[in-house]
Amino acid sequence: MTHLELSHIRKAFGAAVVVEDFNLAVNQGEFISFLGPSGCGKTTTLRMIAGFELPTAGTITIDGNDLTNTPPNKRNVGMVFQSYALFPNMTVAHNVGYGLKITSKSKAEIMQRVHEMLALIQMEEFAQRYPFQLSGGQQQRVALARALAIRPQLLLLDEPLSALDAKIRLELRHEIRRIQRQLGITTIYVTHDQEEALSLSDRIVVMSKGKIEQVGTPTEIYNAPATEFVARFVGHINLLPVTVLNPTDGVISLGRQTLRAGRFGKLNGRPVQLAVRPEEINLGAKPDTNTLSGEVESVTYLGSIVRIGLRIEHHPLSLDVFNEHTLKLPRIGETHTIHFPVNACWLIEKSD
Amino acid sequence: MKAQQINWWAIFWIVLAALYFLLPMYGTLDFSLRMERNTISLKAYEIVFADPRFWRGFQYSTLMALITIVVSIILFVPTVYWMYLKVPQARPIMEIITILPFVIPTIVYVFGLIRTFSRPPFQLTLHAFTTDMLIVAGYVVISMPFMFRAIDVGMRALDVRTLTEAAQSLGSNWFQVLVYVIVPNLRVAILSGALISFATVMGELILASFLVRPALAPYMALLGLTKAYEPAALAIISYALTWFSLGLLQIVSQGGTTRQLTGR
Ligand SMILES: Nc1ncnc2c1ncn2[C@@H]1O[C@H](COP(=O)(O)OP(=O)(O)OP(=O)(O)O)[C@@H](O)[C@H]1O
Ligand SMILES: [Mg+2]
Repeated sequence: MTHLELSHIRKAFGAAVVVEDFNLAVNQGEFISFLGPSGCGKTTTLRMIAGFELPTAGTITIDGNDLTNTPPNKRNVGMVFQSYALFPNMTVAHNVGYGLKITSKSKAEIMQRVHEMLALIQMEEFAQRYPFQLSGGQQQRVALARALAIRPQLLLLDEPLSALDAKIRLELRHEIRRIQRQLGITTIYVTHDQEEALSLSDRIVVMSKGKIEQVGTPTEIYNAPATEFVARFVGHINLLPVTVLNPTDGVISLGRQTLRAGRFGKLNGRPVQLAVRPEEINLGAKPDTNTLSGEVESVTYLGSIVRIGLRIEHHPLSLDVFNEHTLKLPRIGETHTIHFPVNACWLIEKSD
Repeated sequence: MKAQQINWWAIFWIVLAALYFLLPMYGTLDFSLRMERNTISLKAYEIVFADPRFWRGFQYSTLMALITIVVSIILFVPTVYWMYLKVPQARPIMEIITILPFVIPTIVYVFGLIRTFSRPPFQLTLHAFTTDMLIVAGYVVISMPFMFRAIDVGMRALDVRTLTEAAQSLGSNWFQVLVYVIVPNLRVAILSGALISFATVMGELILASFLVRPALAPYMALLGLTKAYEPAALAIISYALTWFSLGLLQIVSQGGTTRQLTGR
């Protein structure tokens, strides 16, 4: 069931078009991430949903009600900011209860709700503290509780974890997802961290230069990126310029070596690239796979995996192997054979 | 240790500056205590405190100062807030406008006021009450550089925009944002602006004398023309008042800064 719908949203600041033809239908209880590089319009889109910016064109509806021109204080939409934005003059309890005080709820009801919220974020004993007496992670949890206390129809988070250090970030990431599931609240989460987007979301909206590149589940985004941009932005990928030899069964050539692509759309004669993730590639030869050979250029330890860089027909290619104790690493300068399954690679049109 | 070495030049300058400020003050204090021949006495102070004109001036100036402060706050807090939120590019213009009272001599300003507002259609100087309105307006302008800067500094220490948006998304309208979120966090800034404005108004001479209102400063000036010891005593009293204000300011801002800075 569609809960939030953005249709044909466009936003221009003067002559600069920042968001263009943005269409998205979000289901009740869904966790959606906006993922994209800096300046691609994630925050601007989120702010239009919150009501802090008016779209230049297009409509925003929640449950069929047009909210496009409703002021932010009438939208009942909870917002969490990167900088926490707790009110410095109020205690944790007053921060959390603020939205309820504004809507003139009774003292007893506010107290009850504040208590409930603080229990949800496991911070009951901090009720009387001021924001400056809390760590960043605690402040952000309070900010989350404050946003949820008003029982919003929608929860919006703009890079809520990027000001925190790595360990807390991971912890809080799980906590946000747990609370979101528990309350079943429709959530939009802005991030430029692909790992966050992949691990949290029901669906990811990948954006670039104000436009949607692809909308899909984390699996779809990672395993079947629709465009070169998505393929490059999410995870690590090898893109090899290839020539199509047979458009019906996907036979292609890379220099003098011949391969087969597992997935390919209609080939319309435009230049294409073969996409394959490093973790799909293995050392050695194997029948019924794509087999290539090239010279080892680099060997990089990344902890649990080792990334090996090769040069194949003048093109760089990397492959990942698990760092097992039996692992025998190739040496730089050696020529090695590698292989990957046919159905683990696909063709992507070259973007210009 | 090098850092421990005494910097004699620094001490020399400090002592020199201290003498420059403190000697005249000591002279005034000493003089104010010598009304009675060959003894130290508070006679001059007794006379001043016994003079109903002093109390009237004090009362009048205090009242005007308080009204000025209230008007300034109501005028400047929303204005500066709006500037931060909606027209940050207007800041240079605001800076120039608010510095004008320092640039234009008060006497010029007062003549402008009188020429404009004592004639038809305004004729504000016909009645005491309307003259007081005019004088408060004048005080608001004269203390504007202090008030604006104090609020500006306070506002700069806050993330005004995000706090506003957070409050709005929780259902507050503009008025509620201002009253519940912005003003409480500007408490220290507003207080310091108020105290400086207070000191300014209490010592303001030109506006009150040309508009012929019974303020404290014209009384001091008048006394200075006719008496010797009493003006010295008055000077000490007004110093004390100013320093009391500044001390209060110091205490208030110390109590608040740690919270404001880290509570961001
Ligand atoms: N008020 C504004 N006036 C003019 N341009 C703006 C305004 N707000 C945003 N922009 C521009 O719109 C573009 C998108 O900004 P936005 O903040 O939405 O990006 P973002 O995807 O959130 O990036 P980041 O990851 O850095 O936060 C940027 O080029 C930015 O300069
Ligand atoms: Mg952003």
